[in-house]
Amino acid sequence: MTDATITTAPELIRAAPELPDLLPPIKLRGGILGFARRYPAIAIGGALVLAMVLIAVFAPYLGTVDPTALAPTRRTREPSAAFWFGTDMLGRDIYSRVLYGARVSLTVGFSVALLASLAGLIIGLVSGFVRWSDGIIMRVMDGMMSIPPILLAIALMALTRGSVGNVIIAITIADIPRVSRLVRSVVLSLREQPYVDAAIAAGTRTPMIILRHILPNTVAPMTVQATYVCASAMIVEAILSFIGAGTPPTIPSWGNIMAEGRALWQVKPYIVFFPAVFLSVTVLAVNLLGDGLRDALDPRLAKRL
Amino acid sequence: MLSYTIRRILATIPVMVVVALFVFSLLYIAPGDPAAVIAGDQATPADVERIRQSLGLDRPFLIRFGEWLWQILHGDLGTSIFTNLPVAAMIAQRVEPTLSLMAVTLVIAICLAVPMGVVAAWQADTLIDRAIMAFAVLGFSVPVFVVGYLLAYVFALELDWLPVQGYTQISEGLWPWFENLILPALALGCVYIALIARITRASMLEVLQQDFIRTARAKGVGQTRILFVHALKNAAVPIVTVIGIGVALLIGGAVVTETVFAIPGIGRLTVDAILRRDYPVIQGVVLMFSFLYVLVNLLIDLLYTVLDPRIRY
Amino acid sequence: MRNGAALVWDMLYGVDGKLQPRRQMVESEEVSSDGLVWTFRLRGGLKFHDGEPVLAKDVVASLARWQARDNMGLMTKEIEQELVAVDDRTFRWVLKKPYPKLLVALGKVGTPSCFIMPARIAATDPFKPIGDYVGSGPMRFVRNEWVPGAKAVFERFADYAPRQEPNSWLSGGKHMLLERIEWIVMPDPATASAALQNGEVDWWETPIADIVPVLKKNRNVMVDIADPLGNIGSFRMNHLHPPFNDVRARRAILTAMNQEDYMRAVVGDNALWKPLPGFFTPGTPLYSEDGGEILKGPRRLDAAKRLLADSGYSGQPVTCVVAQDLQITKAQGEVTADLLRKLGVNVDFAAVDWGTNAARRAQKSPPGQGGWQMFHTWHAGAVCIDPSSYTAIRANGDKAWFGWPTSAKVESEITAWYDARNLDEEKAAIARLNKAALEDVVYAPTGFFLAYQAWRKNIDGIVKGPLPFFWGVSKAA
Repeated sequence: MTDATITTAPELIRAAPELPDLLPPIKLRGGILGFARRYPAIAIGGALVLAMVLIAVFAPYLGTVDPTALAPTRRTREPSAAFWFGTDMLGRDIYSRVLYGARVSLTVGFSVALLASLAGLIIGLVSGFVRWSDGIIMRVMDGMMSIPPILLAIALMALTRGSVGNVIIAITIADIPRVSRLVRSVVLSLREQPYVDAAIAAGTRTPMIILRHILPNTVAPMTVQATYVCASAMIVEAILSFIGAGTPPTIPSWGNIMAEGRALWQVKPYIVFFPAVFLSVTVLAVNLLGDGLRDALDPRLAKRL
Repeated sequence: MLSYTIRRILATIPVMVVVALFVFSLLYIAPGDPAAVIAGDQATPADVERIRQSLGLDRPFLIRFGEWLWQILHGDLGTSIFTNLPVAAMIAQRVEPTLSLMAVTLVIAICLAVPMGVVAAWQADTLIDRAIMAFAVLGFSVPVFVVGYLLAYVFALELDWLPVQGYTQISEGLWPWFENLILPALALGCVYIALIARITRASMLEVLQQDFIRTARAKGVGQTRILFVHALKNAAVPIVTVIGIGVALLIGGAVVTETVFAIPGIGRLTVDAILRRDYPVIQGVVLMFSFLYVLVNLLIDLLYTVLDPRIRY
Repeated sequence: MRNGAALVWDMLYGVDGKLQPRRQMVESEEVSSDGLVWTFRLRGGLKFHDGEPVLAKDVVASLARWQARDNMGLMTKEIEQELVAVDDRTFRWVLKKPYPKLLVALGKVGTPSCFIMPARIAATDPFKPIGDYVGSGPMRFVRNEWVPGAKAVFERFADYAPRQEPNSWLSGGKHMLLERIEWIVMPDPATASAALQNGEVDWWETPIADIVPVLKKNRNVMVDIADPLGNIGSFRMNHLHPPFNDVRARRAILTAMNQEDYMRAVVGDNALWKPLPGFFTPGTPLYSEDGGEILKGPRRLDAAKRLLADSGYSGQPVTCVVAQDLQITKAQGEVTADLLRKLGVNVDFAAVDWGTNAARRAQKSPPGQGGWQMFHTWHAGAVCIDPSSYTAIRANGDKAWFGWPTSAKVESEITAWYDARNLDEEKAAIARLNKAALEDVVYAPTGFFLAYQAWRKNIDGIVKGPLPFFWGVSKAA
């Protein structure tokens, strides 16, 4: 890490291995069952995430109705055969809302993971290769990391109008410094490797070095990091929506459903219960996937956490 | 040691300036007219014009930033659009509940999480370990408000053991103050406990494999003593680091927790300000919390030298 | 803040439970036979919270402040010859025209009420909030414990001189049996409900209807209707800007809206609501359904769409400001958003808090520049019994309430009601007024509903009324 600046190092448990070797192949020996036995976390987490993705994609075909259609005449109905998860204060079908809500959460989670990884990759590469920029970039990242991520996202949301796109941007910005620092540390440690040195000495151009030596080595730690970013982004989205700074209330997102149901949690707990379970399970699945990937990709850390 | 302390304190100054610069420039990076954002949704064109004048948008960016920073150094965080009160005064009025909540959470979390991590490492790969780690993963995955409502339901409504809302000033007695903070602190602490327990376990596992532990065992030192004195002391640095970093989680979570438990603190102020689009307040809160965060981590950095005599600067 | 204001500031007159104005700070009044010269004498021993006596000059300044802000105040201002302090305890009001409802105006519940404050405070800009809370009422506002948006504290003002009569609403002896009142804002109804059940708070002003069954089950909690006169839900449109500057677009809303949807969303499945094809409080003498057909019967979405198209609307965004922190406004807003979507309107749903809503609705500028096209609120049934304090029914354009409706017919019927000599004439005027207001769509009534209040069993003396009256309320250990 940098010299005497403040210890805003990436949270240790989210930190990537300091010097990953080339991506160790995950062998599919013994078929799917064998894989599942060796990497139970990946198998369980992956299966759950896949299930959520399928639910989100096929929400219209899973016995749902229009999730925004009001029907005040049949409001706050308990879960039943007609309304599997009951109805909310305005008579909207919670089952449909929760299923459609998966779209928002997953969109936010995946987009933030992707965008933060991309932005972090670029910033990390620049600061690792363009020596003079390193100091400036890392000072800025230190500063950004000193702002608690949820507050940074809140501040950004206060400046813009509530929309899914803006939520994604706000959470992404808050997550960029962690990814950049990770990429930079990979770049810096790889630069010291003899074979990279040799490549530089042989006159290989920087883009080629990045493509051949750097990128493949960042894939593993970044994948692990991306899953954690994805999980935390989904929670942050729910929190932002819950306090009224996130997805506009007209869009059914898990955070919004819970925000609306919270007034009634004592009387009609199921309104909060179902989205809470879906959100928790999804985040749990992504976290499991991340833990599993980390263990599989970096055996050295596997024992530790 | 002293020179390190001084250098370390000086080194936080550029970080704080960068935080301030970043928070300041957010307003100008965001799409739209900064004056309109400051003035709020309900402002008339005349209001916006007045604010544009006072922002001095025609002058160079750095000069405006300098002036703004100068104001902040004099304790002037601007004026709320909504209440017309100075932001600094609004924050000062609500600082006690928030700091109390965070302090109690910190203490409760450490008292619960560290033993959990130690036991998990000691009993590694047993059912106890699995259970503790399962809780840790779960703690990461359940949003803080869900935990809050569950706790309130069980302990306040069903069992009627603890109050469900509000805040009592510490000047009105230690127990009334603490009683009100137990449930919010547990809800807020959930993620934090998970984080600390995980890192404690990991750090302990590493230390427990080392020679001096074996030596201590051979000498017949008791198990509890080995775990909590010999091993924990050597595993302390990463744990303390995570405690410092996790304060960011506490700050974010406080915003939600204060809303759920109706605690009139800075978190509530933030949520109110969001719905009112009261940007000066949000800016002030972000700055204040960030400085707090930097300070906490500065303290922890300084703590390292005490905790681990091997670290010398 | 009106509810707190009634504690901190006393009034010259106050309405009682039958909505009749009674003397409060005034000891006696005399009116000349032509109804033009009013002479008022203040009670002795009245004091402000800073210990200074309440003088006639303070009253005159307070009246001037109120006149600038209130509809009836404006009316009195227009016909005013002079308003002067005669001596320390006497002031005289000379009018150019008789104004029989003067005492109603001075004692009304509807905001802005005519509160009496020291002259130096009253003299500040009437449209700026005051910064100094020295009042004349039975409770003192404890400023240093005030946390805006979270908590307000009131303490008994020992030097307050209550009247001898028993209290009733804003009239009679405001004897404070409580030393201290803490007013706590809880952002979350669930938390508030739990706090009441646990005895952490004593009185909950506005429990949401869905939680009431839980409260009723609790042996330590009493639940009752807050105000028998109930409330009228209101969906205000901005008459200054498209599309609702065109009466056809406004009628489209009335044609399409289903009051049952609104009312069920606001108060739930129970018998707390009824449809309201009019603007006046059901069960009161002037209630009328004239012209109410547009709100009755099956809803006609297609006809509404045609009306909208005729008005020239073609998909421009329409800003609907919805306060999220009040269940009544939030529920109405959601129903409206749904209704508008069905009508093919492009809704711009602005989620704000009530404070912002209140500030924003005062903006006359176009929606793109801080203005708005729609917001929701509700009016106390106590106010909607007649036009005297019913500012929301006024249709005098720029001077009217937010939305600034213009309808000569409505205005002339209001005048007709003021001029009415007996109840039959009043009823006839109100029936015509109701019809005209529906034709021009002054606003869209979303229905009539009752609200609850809930309190701990050890609290005694709570009465039903349009706002909480703390005098006479006591708390047993």
